Amino acid sequence: MLDVLVGALVYSNLLALLAIGLSLMLLTCRVSNFAHGDVVTTGLYAAYTASVLLRVSPYACIPFALLAGGLVSLLSFLLVFDPLRRAGGGPVTLMVASMAVGIIIRYSLHAYADVMQRTLGVYTRQFVLSDFELQLAGLRVPGVLPLSSLTAAVLLVSLYVLLYRTRLGVAMRAAIENPQLAESLGIDVKRVFAIGWFLSGALAGAAGVFLPFRVISDPDVGWSMLLPAFASVVVGGIGSLAGSVAGAYVVGFSELLLSYLLATLGVSTAYRPLISFAAIVATLLLRPKGLSSLWSR
Amino acid sequence: MRGVEVLSFLVSTAVLYSVYLILASSMEIEYGELGLPSFAKAAFFALGAFAVGALTVRLGALLTGVALEGEFKLVSYRYATLISASVARNPALGLALFAVPLLVALPLAVLMGLAASYPALRLREDHLAIALIAFSESVRVVARNYEPLVGGTFGAGVVDFLAWLRSPWKELALLAVALAMGFGAWLVEYRISTSPLGRVLRAVRDDEVAAQAYGMDVARLRAQILALGSAMAAVAGVLYAFYAGTVNPDDFTVSRTFIVVLMVVVGGRGNPFGPPVGAAVYLLLDRGITLVKHYIPVPFDVNYLSYILMGLLLILLLLKRPGGIVPERPLLTLRRALPQRGSAAAPQQRGAEGGGPAGT
Repeated sequence: MLDVLVGALVYSNLLALLAIGLSLMLLTCRVSNFAHGDVVTTGLYAAYTASVLLRVSPYACIPFALLAGGLVSLLSFLLVFDPLRRAGGGPVTLMVASMAVGIIIRYSLHAYADVMQRTLGVYTRQFVLSDFELQLAGLRVPGVLPLSSLTAAVLLVSLYVLLYRTRLGVAMRAAIENPQLAESLGIDVKRVFAIGWFLSGALAGAAGVFLPFRVISDPDVGWSMLLPAFASVVVGGIGSLAGSVAGAYVVGFSELLLSYLLATLGVSTAYRPLISFAAIVATLLLRPKGLSSLWSR
Repeated sequence: MRGVEVLSFLVSTAVLYSVYLILASSMEIEYGELGLPSFAKAAFFALGAFAVGALTVRLGALLTGVALEGEFKLVSYRYATLISASVARNPALGLALFAVPLLVALPLAVLMGLAASYPALRLREDHLAIALIAFSESVRVVARNYEPLVGGTFGAGVVDFLAWLRSPWKELALLAVALAMGFGAWLVEYRISTSPLGRVLRAVRDDEVAAQAYGMDVARLRAQILALGSAMAAVAGVLYAFYAGTVNPDDFTVSRTFIVVLMVVVGGRGNPFGPPVGAAVYLLLDRGITLVKHYIPVPFDVNYLSYILMGLLLILLLLKRPGGIVPERPLLTLRRALPQRGSAAAPQQRGAEGGGPAGT
């Protein structure tokens, strides 16, 4: 049971890091970004490569993951989504483009994994990284639990401070609210959005560092987190940043606790993804504003 | 390459082309003409394939009086070979095993398509796309874990319904069946696109409220088109399963849907010639890279390169030529109007055919 709770908390931390980025991208460009899962994988391989080269723990390489995820996301904004948005592409066109971006990133990482395995001589597919253990209040917990919680907390709080306590944050929220008006008030909307995309990607990249400590990793692993992350956004209420974070913990804990309960009834845990998929469909149909309807109307 | 290899390469390319032509045609009607992102395409494609995987071995065993012993996932391939041997002596059995899955899959696909039109009326287009993708992945997750259906990750064996023919004729018969189905599906799409109904679909796509104000029953239209598109995808699934000779749930991922969308966008949304062009471009890239992959010196699997190129192609087209290779054009829907080209594009909605929205 402790294992399940630990797993649920770590998983939810990572979902929160992804979901808030997805929300930010929905708000800035109206794109449901299907490439965001692959940005997570980019962060994973960046940190893994750095840790092999520098001979340090992957945890120490989180800055590399932040940078790699941020840059990939920023490039996708500058080269693909911003031009398409300006050309008047609808949300579905942008979504199709994001699937293409995701495929380019994913298969580039597949190719990179082959090259990395050859040149560095480490496993780059179907690998897990061994974690250290901590004594916490008399319980043995894996190090990924406090570290992922700390990372998620620090990054989410910094994002909050940035958005609500700085001039850049005011500019970003204004640009989201009304791009034309913001532009006429002298805000460089494209630059502000680009910063938002860099931050979204950086958060996703950071999430990637923790994945190999929990699941068997390969270049497809981030993609498999994408639909649960969308479930978090939808459950939290599309367009609400706070909702996405709350949604991530709701989705993460329900996925693990429900599948644990069902497993005691003899249902295979392999059906676990169905929980978040069902959450997407049910929330959209029954309560389209999700959790955010609790505090805003 | 020897003659046999050339033949089998040509046949497999042509069969795959037909499968993709059906899928792309259905996506073109739904997404290209009506603007409905029917991104559960892989699930409907899978439905047809699952009908074949779940039924041919069991039905064949029933008809030939063989008792199935052991777990389905472990024995389906062995029994498929056994029953194929019976089909070799009895062509009627082969035809029955081809027809029954088709007859089971079609009504199921129509029902599921109608069910999918329920959210289609209530959700914004991008939310609908996400909901359908979630649904499609749910189908795959269930199929890969519920082993009695098509053997889970083991997959299911498929009876060779053409086992009664000798070698060159067998491939040619499969080729004929595939091309007939592929171009049949495309003809359906072409007829709809160039008919008054097609004009109604594009009117709804471009401005739903305006179309409603003109008296179009948008709800009914969406249900009909989704039912038709889903049935077409199921036909493609049946064909694909018989061609592959095996059914594996992990074949029906979101990437499969994406490839079909790619064909429609690359070919040209809203142009009836988009699907054949898009499917050809995809297969040329995919097969072309398989042919030359031994000559490309890269330190990784060349197949990754074909995915990357496909993604780049789609993005470049969206940026530089959003209409696709053959962009949408105002179509002549009345052959008689051919001499007066200028007036052909004028909005004439009277006489919409085939359960169109006239009079509702």
